[in-house]
Amino acid sequence: MASDSSPAPTNGPSSPDDQASSPIGNTYSSPTASGRNSRRRRRSITPSATPPAHSRFAASSESTPIPNTNPSRSGSTARRGRHPPVSTPSSDGGPVSSEAGGDYMDEGSVPTFVWGTNISVEDVKGAIQMFLRHFREDDSSSASAVFEEGKYMKAVHKVLEVEGESLDVDAHDVFGYDSDLYTKMVRYPLEVLAIFDIVLMDIVSVINPLFDKHVRVRIFNLRTSTTMRNLNPSDIEKMISLKGMIIRCSSIIPEIREAVFRCLVCGYYSEPVAVDRGRITEPTTCLKAECMAKNSMTLVHNRCRFLDKQIVRLQETPDEIPEGGTPHTVSLLMHDKLVDTVRPGDRVEVTGIYRAMSVRVGPTQRTVKSIFKTYIDCLHVRKVDKSRMMTEDPMEVDAGSRKTEEDAPFDESKIEELKELSKQPDIYDRLTRSLAPNIWELDDVKRGLLCQLFGGNAVNLPSGANFRGDINILLVGDPGTSKSQLLQYIHKLSPRGIYTSGRGSSAVGLTAYVSKDPETGETVLESGALVLSDKGICCIDEFDKMSENARSMLHEVMEQQTVSVAKAGIIASLNARTSVLACANPIGSRYNPRLSVIDNIHLPPTLLSRFDLIYLILDKPDEQTDRHLAKHIVALHFENPESAVHDVLDLATLTAYISYARKYIHPKLSDEAAEELTRGYVEMRRRGNFPGSSKKVITATPRQIESLIRLSEALARIRFSEWVEKPDVVEAFRLLEVAMQQSATDHSTGTIDMDLITTGVSASERMRRENLVTATRNIIMEKMQLQGPSMRLLELLEELKKQSPGNEVHLHDLRTAVASLATEGFVVVHGDSVKRV
Amino acid sequence: MVGPQYDLLANPLGAVRLTFERAMAAGIAAGPYSASDGKDWGAVPLFQDFLFDHSRLSQVPILNHETVKWIGANTLVRYRGMVQDMLGNEFYVGAHKVGSVWKTNKFSDHSQFPMDSSCESRVWERRLLYCVPVPGLNSWAEPTWDGLQAHRPVDFTSPQRDKRPRMDIEEEASGDGSSEHSPSLKKMREDGHPSTSSQCQDSMTVESCHQPTMLADTERDSLPCLVKIYDSPESDLQLNNVFEFIGVLTFDSDIPADKNARDDFSSSLCDEELVRLPPSKVPRLHCIIHRKLELPDFLCRSPVIEPNHHFVKHIREALLKHLTTIFGNDGVVAHFVLLHLLSKVHARLDNMAVGKFSLNLTGLSKESVSVFGSQLSIALKNLLPLTNFIPLTVGYLNRASLAPKKDYQLNRLIPGVLQLAEGSHLIIDETQLEAGTLNSVGVENASLLKDLMEFQKVKYDFQYYSMEMAADIKLLILSEGKSNILPADIIVPFQPSSVSSLEVVDAESLDAWRWYLANVRSLEHTIQPEMQKVVENDLVAARQTDRTLGSQEFSRWLTMARLISASFGETSLSLEHWQMAKELERLRKERLG
Repeated sequence: MASDSSPAPTNGPSSPDDQASSPIGNTYSSPTASGRNSRRRRRSITPSATPPAHSRFAASSESTPIPNTNPSRSGSTARRGRHPPVSTPSSDGGPVSSEAGGDYMDEGSVPTFVWGTNISVEDVKGAIQMFLRHFREDDSSSASAVFEEGKYMKAVHKVLEVEGESLDVDAHDVFGYDSDLYTKMVRYPLEVLAIFDIVLMDIVSVINPLFDKHVRVRIFNLRTSTTMRNLNPSDIEKMISLKGMIIRCSSIIPEIREAVFRCLVCGYYSEPVAVDRGRITEPTTCLKAECMAKNSMTLVHNRCRFLDKQIVRLQETPDEIPEGGTPHTVSLLMHDKLVDTVRPGDRVEVTGIYRAMSVRVGPTQRTVKSIFKTYIDCLHVRKVDKSRMMTEDPMEVDAGSRKTEEDAPFDESKIEELKELSKQPDIYDRLTRSLAPNIWELDDVKRGLLCQLFGGNAVNLPSGANFRGDINILLVGDPGTSKSQLLQYIHKLSPRGIYTSGRGSSAVGLTAYVSKDPETGETVLESGALVLSDKGICCIDEFDKMSENARSMLHEVMEQQTVSVAKAGIIASLNARTSVLACANPIGSRYNPRLSVIDNIHLPPTLLSRFDLIYLILDKPDEQTDRHLAKHIVALHFENPESAVHDVLDLATLTAYISYARKYIHPKLSDEAAEELTRGYVEMRRRGNFPGSSKKVITATPRQIESLIRLSEALARIRFSEWVEKPDVVEAFRLLEVAMQQSATDHSTGTIDMDLITTGVSASERMRRENLVTATRNIIMEKMQLQGPSMRLLELLEELKKQSPGNEVHLHDLRTAVASLATEGFVVVHGDSVKRV
Repeated sequence: MVGPQYDLLANPLGAVRLTFERAMAAGIAAGPYSASDGKDWGAVPLFQDFLFDHSRLSQVPILNHETVKWIGANTLVRYRGMVQDMLGNEFYVGAHKVGSVWKTNKFSDHSQFPMDSSCESRVWERRLLYCVPVPGLNSWAEPTWDGLQAHRPVDFTSPQRDKRPRMDIEEEASGDGSSEHSPSLKKMREDGHPSTSSQCQDSMTVESCHQPTMLADTERDSLPCLVKIYDSPESDLQLNNVFEFIGVLTFDSDIPADKNARDDFSSSLCDEELVRLPPSKVPRLHCIIHRKLELPDFLCRSPVIEPNHHFVKHIREALLKHLTTIFGNDGVVAHFVLLHLLSKVHARLDNMAVGKFSLNLTGLSKESVSVFGSQLSIALKNLLPLTNFIPLTVGYLNRASLAPKKDYQLNRLIPGVLQLAEGSHLIIDETQLEAGTLNSVGVENASLLKDLMEFQKVKYDFQYYSMEMAADIKLLILSEGKSNILPADIIVPFQPSSVSSLEVVDAESLDAWRWYLANVRSLEHTIQPEMQKVVENDLVAARQTDRTLGSQEFSRWLTMARLISASFGETSLSLEHWQMAKELERLRKERLG
């Protein structure tokens, strides 16, 4: 707040003498010594040749040719040392009271300057007036817009309507209108803001002379924002803006602004005494001439004026902390309306004035220590998106209201860079290469993971139906094929990634848990991994080791994107819009290609079918890969591994690229792409129909088409394209097919069979089983009598083998066949014996 | 050179100030404006020259819980510590004008002259580091000081000290410090600066140091220190690094002594961390020179050994024999332990810490641990400068705070057991672990230990988020069976054939071994192209026969090969050592059955 330096108009804004005389103890005073010398400015009359300030043009032209002024900070100090401040007519005249800036010209061509600078008060005033009155949002304004009121005039009216106390001014607007004013404002915020306030009050009093509240200017959105680490002595008393996280808020401190004393002897009430130098001196004698009693004055609390004050601690955000460092913190001083606007844990962007306060040795001493306490006098606080990678939910359709005020976390140069990158023809391959560069090969898996990182578009229909945009991936494979490393890598990269191991996580840990506070008995919802990774990627290692309970939770998460908790009387449905990336090891340590995926990893087919892509990462005994591995590991140990990486995007760029795409790119299906999707899907389905055979193999299910849409959307996002084009769809088909070929190929026929995933049994297998059942039924019909003696299974097996010598029949196959006959009520099974009924 | 005029030991500030004035006068600094950032004007080289070129370093008193009681303020001291927390930057009046002369306040808390609020001054910046004695530092590795014997008795009997009245704040602040000094200090000072700033506040601390109340995180006999760093880049001093700081000692308070008198505003703005670090318990050190300490720097008496191969080999043999004895004639285990002790993380790639070599000795029961475990830890204490021990029980896991945690109320990083200096050794005794339920703290701790084993990283808890800090800690796990909670790189079943009592080791060989363990591990290591070919072929062949071998195993083999090679003092992998590594691995596999 500029409150301190923008005293009530009676004093004259930032009246230099006020500053100069400010004592050490003044809590508001700038760092005593240094602040004083280096930054203290006074308006002094300089016999300059500056043209009188008519307009902002004059103001800007003035900035260069000033006599006596050395624009540098130190220069001003030097001068200060030698020239005692020239008399300041401003102090008596109140140069910037309520007159318009133009009045000064009448006084003669002697402009008033902010002390020690080349800033002419009138120029600044004029410039601010021009800005407030005439700034319009779009400079390409049509003729009609000229007659409209400026943006800030409208805002002032609005403030008056709601009886507000502050006017938010976008610093970008100031810069756009008058960059010189902006520079002055940032360099000399105390003075310029004081003038700003005066001008604003002038405008207010013109509009509504009866408006009695003091409206203040709050500047926000500075062009450059600094980091806490870069704050240094030269920033003191400058306007700065920085991001950070609130870690602690003090309680609200009422700070006295005006005090009223009463004489205990005669009951005389004193005039309000304003705060002077951070403290109020109690009158030693009664001021009433008739009384004059000594030490009789006492403070009347309820007639004093107080102001809210709060001290908040801001800590720098994790990404600003260099390696091997701990986060820095800085104190923020909040006044008035800013009090209690933030809470610990909030990420904010603060605009304020960096100030330093000297520490007194003792309460009564004038001597000061050589140390300063620094703090930021807050002008404006803006909350920043809380999520870790700044991923504003790309899927949230109804976020419009929030979005407008939320930040644009990418600065323009970065966006340009990313866009440039996205235009490269090989961006897809380049991103693939950049993903886990030290895990070689597995390119298609990486492409799938890339799609998962970018994600598809979620659709929420007004009817309440919604389609997820998250892509779920399962990696199944032999041990030692760096599945876990891939997972770790994705976890590091992904927004709000959560890494968990199936072995260690209970249902509770993975989802949400209701706990009861032992002392108060309050029930609390504790979110687990899936909820925590809402809008992120939940990486689950050792998926197969996960308990049944936890797995069943995943059903809901992966399709409905919510987690329901029903415990202790609370039924809650928590959002868990997560992509799941899981990896599983096959049951018998190595993958058995003759069994289906389901048999290999013992996962229920219902869960399996919810994965968009299932990759088999098999370790094929191939000397070439082994050699590659050996080379890689030897290099890792004996060479400098950092230097080995080439032509890949670094992690930071990759992260920025992904978060930008997730946030701003929302591709739609083009007609061409939609057509291709339909065509491809029909094609896929048709592949299951073998000509001349009644056998029907499901090669694709409606789930696949959803997956395909998501994949093609993700692929379009990779290119930063707003439209899903045909090549995206083609690639999506390819990705799906690669994944399905690995996991859903029926090894007995060589075709893709979705039944393998959806039911765990391929169509050909089902056919075989049906044939077996028929054969068994025939044998039983043949050999056994109704209610006759029972037959042993082994005997049946013998018979079957006799009848069809070419067919290999296993006992357990027969057992299933007999079991299915039993359900038909055809036979009764007792242990190993079968009886026809 | 101003050197001879000043006793840099007793009156370092005099030299600092004189050089400043000379620099100003000579116009080198060309007025305070060009020196406005407070960059060094030639004082540091003076000290550098004095301490290192004239090797007076050993004459500088060492600051520890013993010596703090009598070392005078504003004298030059040495302090060895680990950067435990960083308290941010501090702005101070670096230079100000007295009359027409510029004076500096660098390296001190107070101005030597009263500072009028109206006088010209410049604001400079310094960093505050909270340092603690290196965790797990063994007594033999503590530094020595020449003057210790000479000074201690004098000062303890100095009658003047105890009688001295508390200094008046006024007097202290006004810089009228050239009053009395203890006799020894007077003797040391050849030429005092006319008005040296308050040098005697230490008298206050003599009493206060004896107060039984200490900070929760400071032990009785460990002395934390608030080090103020000038002019060095941020990347120089990182968390958990160990440094030797040489600088000016002050006990001065940064905060007004009278708490009641402080107004609300300043107290709430005041960094509370400083309030909780009373100067009487945490002295301030204005660092002039700092140097990073690596493991070899902890050895006080490094034997003058030419690192020739023959000699290294000789030490290696002796040490291996010593280890074999400790391990009841189990040579294989001794070999692995030797490699383990020499390991260090030499590269990091993504999540992998290349070079880590954590060891899990299995086959130890509660009973045998009391024999071999204690022998082992005694032996390691003697060999390594930094050793730590964790007895792993369910109760411990549930209660201990392993990870450092940020306390936002104190605005301090509360240290955890796993906040260790680089190169520390940590034994985790898992034999005591019984079945039991882990609470959330326990689960968290277990996963911390696991992460440390796997990635050599410790997650620091910053409440709103966590931050991973790279660590380089050698982990040795003693367990009954293979430890699944703590998955080590190497699992070796321990098979002792005899129990021997600790042999007495002569000091000379102990010194040699310490030197060996500290130095050999930091050798550079390369591989020749032809050797690389051999290794690659071996790996491919091994994988062709055994498909379960993966990158982890290969990584381990190569680490072993590298360590074996290093243990002979070689810098390049030879076929012989590669074969040895394979043989060792074969022996281990055999034991695992």
